[in-house]
Amino acid sequence: MIKLIAQDLEMRFGERLLFRARQLEFCQGEVIYLQGDNGCGKTTLMKLLAGLLKPSAGTIYTQGFPATPWWRGDTLLGKAIYLHQHPYLFEGSVSYNLQLAQKYSGLNKAEQRTRMQSAIENAQLGKLLKTNASTLSGGERQRLALARAWLLKPKLLMLDEPISNMDRASQQTVFAMIAELKQQGTGLLISSHQHSELTALCHQHWHIESQQLTTSANLTLATEELQEENYVAAH
Amino acid sequence: MSEGWLALIQQALGLLFSRDPEVWSIISVSFSVSFAALLITLLPSMILGFALAFVQFPGRWLVTNLVQTLQSIPTVVVGLLAYLLLTRNGALGDLRWLFTQKGMILGQMMICAPVLIAMSHAAFTSVDRRAWETSRTLGASWSSAIWVVCRELRVPLLLAIIAAFSRIITEVGCSMMVGGNIAHVTRNIPTAISLETSKGDFAQAIALGLVLLVLALILNFALGTLRGRASPRSH
Repeated sequence: MIKLIAQDLEMRFGERLLFRARQLEFCQGEVIYLQGDNGCGKTTLMKLLAGLLKPSAGTIYTQGFPATPWWRGDTLLGKAIYLHQHPYLFEGSVSYNLQLAQKYSGLNKAEQRTRMQSAIENAQLGKLLKTNASTLSGGERQRLALARAWLLKPKLLMLDEPISNMDRASQQTVFAMIAELKQQGTGLLISSHQHSELTALCHQHWHIESQQLTTSANLTLATEELQEENYVAAH
Repeated sequence: MSEGWLALIQQALGLLFSRDPEVWSIISVSFSVSFAALLITLLPSMILGFALAFVQFPGRWLVTNLVQTLQSIPTVVVGLLAYLLLTRNGALGDLRWLFTQKGMILGQMMICAPVLIAMSHAAFTSVDRRAWETSRTLGASWSSAIWVVCRELRVPLLLAIIAAFSRIITEVGCSMMVGGNIAHVTRNIPTAISLETSKGDFAQAIALGLVLLVLALILNFALGTLRGRASPRSH
C-alpha cells in the first residue's frame, strides 16, 4: 500500500517547540482531517510531509512509491502534493499553469489528454484558459491550483484550508473535485480550523493541541459539531 | 559654431554608413570582448546569486556584502588589479594575456561579475518562496524548479544582464590598462573615443559615441518594454 510514515516527529523554531508526533501514517485512500488552532503548526506539518521542510527530529519516509532515480535527490518531494492556502500561480495564462504541471505528471500522452480535459471541466476553467493567472479571483485561483494537482493523478494530496475565503459556488466546485479525488482513491489530508462539508468527508482525525499531535480513527464528534453548527446557522 | 558641429556629425555618420574599416574594427572589438566577458560570467554569477539567496552557509552575510561592495569599485582600480595579475611577474603572467583581447575579457569579467551576482541575488531574494515550493511539490526536479523560478524572475534577471553589459561596454579604465588601446587588436569604443578626442579627431569620436548612444536607447527601450509587460502580482 502507498503510504507516508512519520516517526517521533518534532518541529522546533529555535528553542520554541511547535509540535511533537509519535507515529503518523498517511495512506492512499484515506481522508484525514487535520485540525488545530491558528499557528499550531498545521501548515508546517503538511510542508514536512511534502518534503518542503526538514523536521527538527524524527524521520519521514514513504512506502509503495516507485523508486526515485538518485539524481532526483530528496525522495519525499513530489510524493505527497501540498496545496498552499493561498496558491501560487505561475506568471502566464491559466493554460500555461496547467501545461507546466502536466509536464511533471509522468503519465502517457493519452492519459494526459483525458486528465487535462477532466481537470478543465471539473474546475470549470474552460472559459478562462487564455486569461492571465494573476487576474483570477480567489476562488478561481484555488480551482486552478486544484486542477494542476489533479493533472498529476496524485496518490497523496494535502490541502491547506482549501475553501477558506471562497464564495459558495467556488466552494461547491472545489468540494466536488475533492470528493471525486477521494472516489479515485487519492489519500487526502485536509486542514481546517473549522468544520465544514469538506471535513465531513474525512474518516480520520489528526488534532494538534498543546504542542502534541494526536490521531483518532473516527470523526463522530466532528460530524456532530457540524450538524450542530448547521442547525444553528439554519435557525 | 553650429555649422562646425553639423559638419562633424555629418562626417561621423559618413564614417558609420560608409562602413569605415577603422571604425567598424573598433566596434567589433568592443562588442566581441564585452559579449564574451558577459557570456562566460553569466551562468556562474547567476548560480552564485541563487546560492546566496537560498543556501545557508557560514559567511554568507560577508560574501553578500563583499559582492555588493565590489560593484562600486572604479573600473580603473579593477584594471590595475587585472594588470598586476597579468603582468610578467603576476599570478597569471605566464598566460601572456596582457595587451590582448583575452586580458580585456578577464578584466571585464571582473567588472561585470559583482553586478550580475548582486542583482541576481536581489532578484532571487525577492521571489515568492511558494514559486519554488509549488514547482517542487508538483514534481519538478531541482534543475527544473530553478528554471521555473528563473522564468518567474525573467524581468529582474534580464535587468541584471543589461546593467552588467552596459557597465562593461562603456568602461574605459580597465580596457585602457589591460588592453593598451592597440589599433585593430584591443582598441574598443571607449578607449578609441578617449584617444580620438585627445588628438582632436572629433568625427570618429562622435561616430563611436553615436553607436553607444543608439545601444543605450535600444537597451532602455527593451527595459521599458519588459517593465511594462510585467504585471503586478496579486495573492
